[in-house]
Amino acid sequence: MGAPMGGGGPPGSTQAGLPFGGIPYELQEGVDRLLESEPDRGESKVVFTQLPTPDEKKTLSLTGLLMEYPGMCAAAVVLVAAIALATQLGPSLVSYGINHGLTPPHYDFGVIVFMAILYLVSIVVSASAQWGQARVTGRLASWVMNDLRVKVFRHLQRLSLDFFTEEKAGVVMSRMTSDIENLQQLLQDGLAQFAIQGLTMIVITAFLFATNVRLALITVVCVLPPLVIMSIWFKRASERGYDKVRDGIALVLADLSESLQGVRIVAAHNRQRYNVETHRDVVGAYRDANNYTGRLNGVYGPGSQLLSVVGQVIILGIGGEMLLHHQINLGELTAFFLYVNRFFSPIQLLVQQYNTFQQGRASIFKLRDLLNTEPSVLEAPDAVDLPKIRGEIHFDHVSFGYDPAVPVLHDVDLTITPGETVAFVGATGAGKSTMAKLVTRFYDPTAGRVLIDGYDLQRVTLSSLRSQLGVVPQEPFLFAGTIRDNISFARPGAPDDEVWHAVHQVGLGELVQRLPYGLDTPVHERGQSLSSGERQLIALGRAFMAEPRVLVLDEATSNLDLKSETMVEAALDVLLEGRTAVLIAHRLSTAMRADRIVVVGDGRLLEVGSHDELVSLGGHYAEMYDTWINQSHAA
Amino acid sequence: MSKTEDRLEEAGAPTPTAGNGRVADGAVATEEKTLPFAAYVPMGAVSRYEKPKATISPDVSLSWIRRAAPIVMSHKKQWFSALIFAFAGLMIQVWVPLLLQNGITDALNKNTAGLRNYVILIAVLGVFTGLFGYISRSNLFKVAYSIEFDLRNTIYEHFSRMSFPFYDRVQSGQLISRANSDIRSVQMYLTFAPMILVQCSIAVVAFIFMLSISVPLAFVAMISMPFIYVVGVRMRQKLFPVSWLIQSRLAEVATVVDENVNGVRVVRSFAAEQQQLRQLGTAADRVQWAYIKDADLRARFAPLVQNLSQVGLVFVLLVGGWMIIHDHLPVATIISFNLWLVMMQAPFMMLGMLIMMGQRASASAGRIYEILDERPTIVDRPGAVDLVDSEGDVVFDDVSFAYAADSLLSKSVEAGDGEDKRRQILSHLNLHLRPGETVAMVGRTGSGKSTVARVLARFYDATGGSVRVDGHDVRDLTLTSLRGNIGVVLDEPFLFSVSIRDNIAYGRPDATMEEVQAAAEAAGADGFINRLADGYQTVVGERGYTLSGGQRQRIAIARALLVNPPILILDDATSAIDVKVEQRIHSSLRVLMEGRTTLIIAHRLSTISLADRVVLLDGGRIVADGTHAELLASTPLYSEVLAQAAKEETAETVVAEGTEDVGLESDDDLLQPEVVDLAPEGPEELR
Repeated sequence: MGAPMGGGGPPGSTQAGLPFGGIPYELQEGVDRLLESEPDRGESKVVFTQLPTPDEKKTLSLTGLLMEYPGMCAAAVVLVAAIALATQLGPSLVSYGINHGLTPPHYDFGVIVFMAILYLVSIVVSASAQWGQARVTGRLASWVMNDLRVKVFRHLQRLSLDFFTEEKAGVVMSRMTSDIENLQQLLQDGLAQFAIQGLTMIVITAFLFATNVRLALITVVCVLPPLVIMSIWFKRASERGYDKVRDGIALVLADLSESLQGVRIVAAHNRQRYNVETHRDVVGAYRDANNYTGRLNGVYGPGSQLLSVVGQVIILGIGGEMLLHHQINLGELTAFFLYVNRFFSPIQLLVQQYNTFQQGRASIFKLRDLLNTEPSVLEAPDAVDLPKIRGEIHFDHVSFGYDPAVPVLHDVDLTITPGETVAFVGATGAGKSTMAKLVTRFYDPTAGRVLIDGYDLQRVTLSSLRSQLGVVPQEPFLFAGTIRDNISFARPGAPDDEVWHAVHQVGLGELVQRLPYGLDTPVHERGQSLSSGERQLIALGRAFMAEPRVLVLDEATSNLDLKSETMVEAALDVLLEGRTAVLIAHRLSTAMRADRIVVVGDGRLLEVGSHDELVSLGGHYAEMYDTWINQSHAA
Repeated sequence: MSKTEDRLEEAGAPTPTAGNGRVADGAVATEEKTLPFAAYVPMGAVSRYEKPKATISPDVSLSWIRRAAPIVMSHKKQWFSALIFAFAGLMIQVWVPLLLQNGITDALNKNTAGLRNYVILIAVLGVFTGLFGYISRSNLFKVAYSIEFDLRNTIYEHFSRMSFPFYDRVQSGQLISRANSDIRSVQMYLTFAPMILVQCSIAVVAFIFMLSISVPLAFVAMISMPFIYVVGVRMRQKLFPVSWLIQSRLAEVATVVDENVNGVRVVRSFAAEQQQLRQLGTAADRVQWAYIKDADLRARFAPLVQNLSQVGLVFVLLVGGWMIIHDHLPVATIISFNLWLVMMQAPFMMLGMLIMMGQRASASAGRIYEILDERPTIVDRPGAVDLVDSEGDVVFDDVSFAYAADSLLSKSVEAGDGEDKRRQILSHLNLHLRPGETVAMVGRTGSGKSTVARVLARFYDATGGSVRVDGHDVRDLTLTSLRGNIGVVLDEPFLFSVSIRDNIAYGRPDATMEEVQAAAEAAGADGFINRLADGYQTVVGERGYTLSGGQRQRIAIARALLVNPPILILDDATSAIDVKVEQRIHSSLRVLMEGRTTLIIAHRLSTISLADRVVLLDGGRIVADGTHAELLASTPLYSEVLAQAAKEETAETVVAEGTEDVGLESDDDLLQPEVVDLAPEGPEELR
C-alpha cells in the first residue's frame, strides 16, 4: 500500500494543537502554567435521550436559562447595587469633608481623617463587590453557556439526516459557535455592566440633585441631551460601520484563502497580477470601512470629551457665581466637579454594551428557531427496544420520495433472508441508496413498511435499531482523533485486544503495527494523510467493531490501486461472513459476489436473482454485464 | 542573486517589461482575437486603490521595527500629525484643572472678573481639545488602517510570486493566520504604541503642575500610580494566555461540531449520539473552566486597577486637608488634583498594555518576515524572452525530476516503505510533441504522468535535462508568456467562489458572454449550467452552489478552452464525467484539438482514442511510443495498465449509459458531503 498512515506526532498532541487556533509560542509558557491548575474532571456526564424531556421542551429564553441558578442571580443583583452605590460615595465624602473640616474658620482635621477612612472603606467595599460580581457573573455565564451548548448539541443529535444538508452545515456551525459566544459576552459582563452603568447614572443624578437642585438641573439639562443625542448617533452609525468592517474582513479572508487554495489555477492562467489588483480592491474596501468607523470614533471620543469640558465650564461659571452669592458652598461645588466627570463613562459604556445586548438577543432568537425544528424521523413515544435480531429484512410495499411529490421508490416489495448478501445495482438516481437509507431508518417510507425480523422500524427505538446495524458509507468519513478512536467508534473504550482483532481482520494489522504510535497515531485532516484504500479499510474496521447483524455497505467509487483493492475485497469477505448484507454496488465485480442481485431502475425492482440467473435471463443485467466484459477485454 | 531580486521587483510591476514583451493594452488585445490562437493576453485589471508606496525592508539584519519603518514612514505626514496634535491636545487639556482651581479660588475671593475670564478661557481650551482630539484620532486611525492595507497587499503580492514548491511545503491555514492576526498585532503596535507614549507625556506634565502647587502633595497623590502600572502589566501577562486558551478551546468545540455535522451519517449509523454528546460536553467543560479562570483573573485584577487611583484621591483628601489647614493651600487644590489623577489613570494602565503588545508584535513580525523572506524559486531569468504565438513544438530532452526532500509531502514519504526520500519521478525522459499533434500519455499510478505536465508548464523546474517549446528552453521564456501559451486542465478542478461565468473566464476576464458560452458548450457544460436557476451567474465553490465532480471538470475544461492556447494539457480531466457526456465533449474536443498540440493524460480507452499517438510512461521514462494498436500488439505492460484502468473504471459509468446527464439532485449525491481538501494538492505520485 503506497502511502503510509498519519503524520506522526505524539499521541495527545492533537489536544491543544488545533488547526491554527494554535497558541503563539511566546504565550505557551503562560498557558502551561495556567493548565497546571486545571483539575482532572474526567469525561462529561451528559446524557442523551432520543425524546426530549418536558423540561427541554420549554421555549428558550435568557431568563429561563439564568433562573436555573437563582442563588447566583440574586447574588449578582445585590453585588451590582453595591458597586453602583459604593463607587459613587467618594465625591460626597470629599464634599462633606470640605464643608465640615476645611471651610474657614471651622477647620477640623478630625472630620477629614474620618472622611478619608470612610472613603477608603467605600473603596474596599466597591473593590470587593467588583471582585465578587466578576466571579459570580463569570460563573453564571459559563454555566449557562455550558447548558446551552449541551442543549443545542443534544437537539442536533435528535434531528434527522435530511436536516443536515450542505448549506445547513455552516448555519449549524455558527449557531454552536458565534451565536453562543455572543451570549457568553453578554452574560459574563454585558448584563452586569448594563445594570451597573444604568444605576450609576441614576445614583450620580440623585447625588447631584440632593446636593443642589438648581445647579443639578442646569447641568443635566445642558449636558445630558447633547450627550444622549451624540451617543445614539454614534451607536447607529457605528453599528452600520462595524457591519461593513465585518463583511469587509470576511471578503478579504475569503479572497486570500481561495487564492491560496487555487494557487495552481491562478498560476496556470497567469492571474497573479490581476488577482493582486482585485485583492487590493477587496482590502481597500475593508480599509474604507475601517476608516469610516475610525472617523466616527474620532468624532465621538473627542466630542464627549468636549462635552465634559462644557459641563465643567457650566459648573464653574454658574456654580462659581452661586458660590459668590453663597447659594452653594465649596464642598457642594467640589462634589459637582467630581461627579460630572464620572457622568460620561457610563453613557459611553452603555453605548458599547448596547451592541452586545442586541447581538445577544438576535442570537437567542436564532437558537430558539433551531431548537424548535422537529426531527422528521421521530421515535414513537411507545417505541420498544429491538431485541437481538437474526437479520431478516422485509420491504413491505414501500414507496418513498424525498419530496413526496417526486417519488423515488414505487411499491417496492422485497425480503432479504438472514445471512444473505444482496447487491443493488442500477444507474445513479435509480433509488438503490435510498433503499439502504430506509433500512437504517434515515428516512421513513411515505407508504408501506420496512421490517426487520417482523418489527416495523417505526415502532422500535432508534438506538436499539442502529446499534445492530453496521454502515459503511461511500466516502469513508474519519473523525479527528486516533486510529483507535475511529475503529472503536461504535464501542468507545473497547479493550485493546478487540480493537487489534478488528484491525487484523480487515488487514490493517501490519500497517498499524509499523506506525510509531500504533493505534494512537492521530488521523489528520479527516484522514487526508491516508490513502483512500486505508480510509476504506478503517471504515470497514469500524463496522466490524460494531458487530452488527445487518450490514449496509455503499461501495466506494474511488479508484484504488490493485493491492489496496485486493485488501479491501479480503476485508469485505470477513465482514460479510454470516451477516445479512445490503450492498450498494457500483462495480459489477462487487455485485457478482452477492448471493442475490437486485437491479433497480426508476424506483422499481427490475430484476432479482443470482448472477447466473440474471445473465441467463438476458435482461438489463445481462446487458450491463456484456458492456463491462467488452470494456475490460478490449484491452 | 541581486539580479534575481531585480526580476522580483519587476514581477510586481503592473505591465510586463521583460524581453520583447507587449504592453497590456486594449488595442493589442482585440487585435489578438483575430489570430488563430489568442495566446498570452496580459490582463490589465486596475484596482481603484493605489498600491502600497513602501514595503518591508529586505535587510534581515535590521530589527523588526526598523524593517517595518519604510511602511510607517510612507505615511509619515499623517502619523506625525496624529502624534503632534495628540500632544498639543493633551498639553491644553492638562491646564484645565489648574484653571478650574484658580477660577474657584477667584470665586471664593469674590473676584467676578477673574472667574469670568477663567470660564471663557476653559471654554476656548475645551474647543481646541476637541478639535485637536478629532484631528489626531482620525489621522491615527487612518495610519493604522493604511499600514494594515499595505501589509495585507504586500503579503498577498508576495504569495502571488511564490512558486509551487513553496506551496507544497506550507499549509494554507498557517499562511492565512499569519496574514491576518499577525498583521493586526504588528499594525496595532506600530500605530498605538507611539500614541500611548505621547499620552504618557500628560502624566509628566500633570505631575509638573502638581509639583508646582505642592511638592509633598504631588508625591502623595502619585503614590498609587506605580501600582496601577505594575498591576496593569501583571494583568495583561495573566490574561493573554487565558484568552488564547479560551480561543483554542472554543476551536475544540467547533471541531467537535464540525465533525459531527459532516460525519452525521456515521454518527447516526452507529447510534453514536451519546458518545458525541459526551465529547461535546467534555469540550464544553474545558471551555467553561477556561472562562471561569478568565473571570477569576479579571476579578482579581480589574477592581485593583479601577480602585487604586481612588486611593490616591483619599491621600489627597487626607494630606491635602492637613496642608489646607496648616499651610493655607487653596481648598480648590483638592479638585484640581482629583482631575489630574483621573487624567493620568488611563495612560498608566495602557503603559502596562504596551509591554505585552510589544512582545506580541515582535513575535508576529517575526512570523510575517519569515514568509516575506522566502524567495520564489521559479522565476524569469534575466533576459528571458516572451513566447509569442507558439507553434506548439514541445521537446522533453533527457528530463529528470525529483521533488525536493523538504516538500510538505515528505511527511508521507518519510514513513514510506523505506523509499528514497528524493524519489526520482522522471528519469531521462525524452518525448517530442510535434505541432498540432495529440498525444495520449498512459501509465500506472505513480509513473510520473502529472509531473510531465507540471514540468512543461514550469510549475516545477526539471532537475535534469531541458524542456523546450518551439526550440526555446522553457527556463529562457517568461513565465507569463509560457503559461499563456499552455492551457492546463488539472485532475482536481478547483473552482473559485464566483459566478460560473467568472470561473470560465478566469484566464480571460474580459471575454464576452458569447465566448464564455461557446467554451462551455464545447466542454459539454452548457446544458447543466442553463438548467441552474441563475444560469451562468450562479455562484459556485465553497461559498456557493455545489457542483458534482464531473460538472466541475467540465467547467475546468471550458476554462482552459476559453483561453484558446496553442498547447493544451488535459490531466485526467474527464475522469469524473459520465462516459456518455464525455463522448459529447470528445466530438467538440476533436474539432478544437485540430491544429493544437495536445497532451492527454488518461486511462479510458475512449479518451485515448482521441489521440494520434500513445506513449506509455513507466518508471519516469517513455517505454513505448506508437498508435494504440501498435502498443497493444507490442507491449504487454500497455494492455496490463489499460486492463487495470478498466477494472478501476466503475461499473456505474457503464450502467449510467442509459440515464440522462444526471445532476446533483440524485439521491446518492444528496447526503454526500463534498470532501474539500484544504491542503494544497500535491503531486499524485507521492500521495
